[in-house]
Amino acid sequence: MALLSVRDLLVRFQTHDGTVYAVNGVSFDLDESETLGLVGESGCGKSVTNLAVMRLLPRPAGRIVGGHVYFQDEDLVGLDEAEMRDLRGKEIAMIFQDPMTSLNPVLTIEEQMVETIKAHKKVTGKEARARAIELLAMVGIPEPEPLLRNFPHQFSGGMRQRVMIAMALALEPKLLIADEPTTALDVTIQAQVLELLSRLAADHGTAVILITHDLGVVAGMTRRTNVMYAGFVVESATTANLFAKPSHPYTVGLLHSMPRLDAQPGEPLIPIEGTPPDLRFAPVGCPFAPRCAWRVEACWKEMPTLEPIVATSEVQMTGPLATHRAACWNRPTPEEAAAGRPLRDDFIPAALPIEAPR
Amino acid sequence: MTSYVAPGPGPAGVPAAGAPAEAPAAPQALMRVEALKMYFAITSGILISRHVGDVRAVDGISLSIEKGETVGLVGESGCGKSTVGRTILRLYRPTAGRVVFDGQDITRAEGSTLRAVRRRMQMIFQDPYASLNPRMTAAGIISEPLEIHGIGTGRERHEQVRDLLATVGLDPDYGDRYPHEFSGGQRQRIGVARALALHPDLIVADEPISALDVSIQAQIINLLERLQGEFGLTYLFIAHDLSVVRHISDRIAVMYLGRIAELAGSRELYDRPLHPYSVALLSAVPIPDPAVEGRRRRIILTGDVPSPSNPPSGCTFHTRCWLRERLGNPDRCVAEEPVLREMATRHEVACHFAEEVDGTAEQVQVTGRSGRGGAAGPSVSAAAAGVAFSGEKVGTDAGPADASVPVAPTTPEGPPPRPSRRG
Repeated sequence: MALLSVRDLLVRFQTHDGTVYAVNGVSFDLDESETLGLVGESGCGKSVTNLAVMRLLPRPAGRIVGGHVYFQDEDLVGLDEAEMRDLRGKEIAMIFQDPMTSLNPVLTIEEQMVETIKAHKKVTGKEARARAIELLAMVGIPEPEPLLRNFPHQFSGGMRQRVMIAMALALEPKLLIADEPTTALDVTIQAQVLELLSRLAADHGTAVILITHDLGVVAGMTRRTNVMYAGFVVESATTANLFAKPSHPYTVGLLHSMPRLDAQPGEPLIPIEGTPPDLRFAPVGCPFAPRCAWRVEACWKEMPTLEPIVATSEVQMTGPLATHRAACWNRPTPEEAAAGRPLRDDFIPAALPIEAPR
Repeated sequence: MTSYVAPGPGPAGVPAAGAPAEAPAAPQALMRVEALKMYFAITSGILISRHVGDVRAVDGISLSIEKGETVGLVGESGCGKSTVGRTILRLYRPTAGRVVFDGQDITRAEGSTLRAVRRRMQMIFQDPYASLNPRMTAAGIISEPLEIHGIGTGRERHEQVRDLLATVGLDPDYGDRYPHEFSGGQRQRIGVARALALHPDLIVADEPISALDVSIQAQIINLLERLQGEFGLTYLFIAHDLSVVRHISDRIAVMYLGRIAELAGSRELYDRPLHPYSVALLSAVPIPDPAVEGRRRRIILTGDVPSPSNPPSGCTFHTRCWLRERLGNPDRCVAEEPVLREMATRHEVACHFAEEVDGTAEQVQVTGRSGRGGAAGPSVSAAAAGVAFSGEKVGTDAGPADASVPVAPTTPEGPPPRPSRRG
């Protein structure tokens, strides 16, 4: 049985501009000690999906309006706040992009770490403090003891993120959700933090959901990847398969629009034209259709479901043999994925979208 | 109470700019900076401010940018790359050194002289939300430079704005819209149009795409490349993302703590990085390919970038240098500041031990020579001729991936050739 099982999750926000359709039926599974990447651009619903899993949606605007989140066979959607509080930190922990906004600026590192530990474990203050020192040493902070009395602003960005990781792992959670953990960091510091994160997760057998917009980070850090667009999972595969055989036009577009460090100089970029859709309109058809060169008539009418790219009788949701699935009416062929544009003789690529203000 | 203030025209360190001592420069240089220093004073006290130190944002940089060229400036936050861009445009008064634009020394230029030069130098900013006045229409924003410099009549300016909007890929009819009505990518196009309005020679683009979504970034990169071809622009492209800088630049300067660590052609820098910092920086950039990531080894630099108000002595990188550790921590790195020296044609490195980098496992790892370059490695001319992807990747050693080539075989006809980089 999977550790986490999200089924048909629907999340809406009520704003004064109307309803925002943030997550539109997301399903995925995660095994114990598995690493899953969630890629997509800002507003694609990758963060909201995980806030919903943690039941941390901003209230009253954000609501789970449908679906289930099973964690160890228990549906989190039905739990009350006290039950959720028991789970958060202890079973499921989360680290965010900007550690400065998730650490309390007026409390010392010691106060925050001891508070977390004592909230879930019956330990004395002295034991909690010893544990805090142990954790900071574990995340590579040299001479942690005097630093315990410091405030978050006295640390650099990389050090703060280490403190966050230490706090997230304080209670040895089964699942760690890392939401853009290195986006605010410099590339050499990002390398430090990612290395630390993957080593600790492996040591403790923690399952990780890594949310990022950076396909490079996903390639290096995860075993399985879901690509999200406008509140839908549009492609799901092992990370190796996803990059070897991208099968959704959006994934293909992302791969061709990023310059690669190891590319031949002069290789042109193929951008995805147009802009992501306005989520204040209820989705009709495939949300990527307006920007998609592969679109066909059906794309305007109905959102396709995630289907295996190779016909199979049994769909594997998790693990190294997870079935490669894509939600597309007109999947790019491997040659087209390589070229970044439709190549078939009998298919006329769709015209580019018009750039108009929203 | 500590605050940072830009100093006035500092009396300290002004070079003895005797006219005859001028070094002969490359004839084509559009912009040349020599031993440029830009310090920001740290003052203390509320009523009487005392000078208690300096943030050495730029600490002795020499660089020349040729006409039609794109020079990339990379480095981590706080390395001074943005300050270089702003000092070149004379938004700051340099503490020391010289800024020469098209043969004219503008280091101390003021008033109308400076304004005349600024017409030829423009800037594109990082944040398309903060850099456009929310109370002005797109057309107002784009025509403002024209108005300031008194170019054309109202009607002519109106026409010019429509042309500029079309040039950057926006509908000319949307000039009367306000910035909030546009998406991030569209706003950045407006910023580009504003920079183009005065037909500048040099554009300093300071992180022009890092605030944009991944799928939009390529739109702006391609736009900048197209405009360079159309208008013969010269770019100083400042960014922290090495893959982007490598893509767009002809030459790259790698900065660390206010100094240039390495300066080389963008292909050369990737094929043969010779500064330990460049090697580490290249190794840290994630590559979107699990097969490549699986066989790469990262150099994990320890610690953080030291503070530019109190930089380490000698080579500022010595506190984090993997090579120095391997060489048994030689004293020279602490005692003596390395200067840029030419290791190969147009390839300069500021490291006492750059020779030792060549051929190390780290350098080989970063350039991936083991997996590259074989018989399938296409030459530069093949790439220029429109080969979209090299089918050079060997051995997909990343699990159950299909045996087919991971990213792409060579396309039969290839995409249409790019407009020439040189205008």
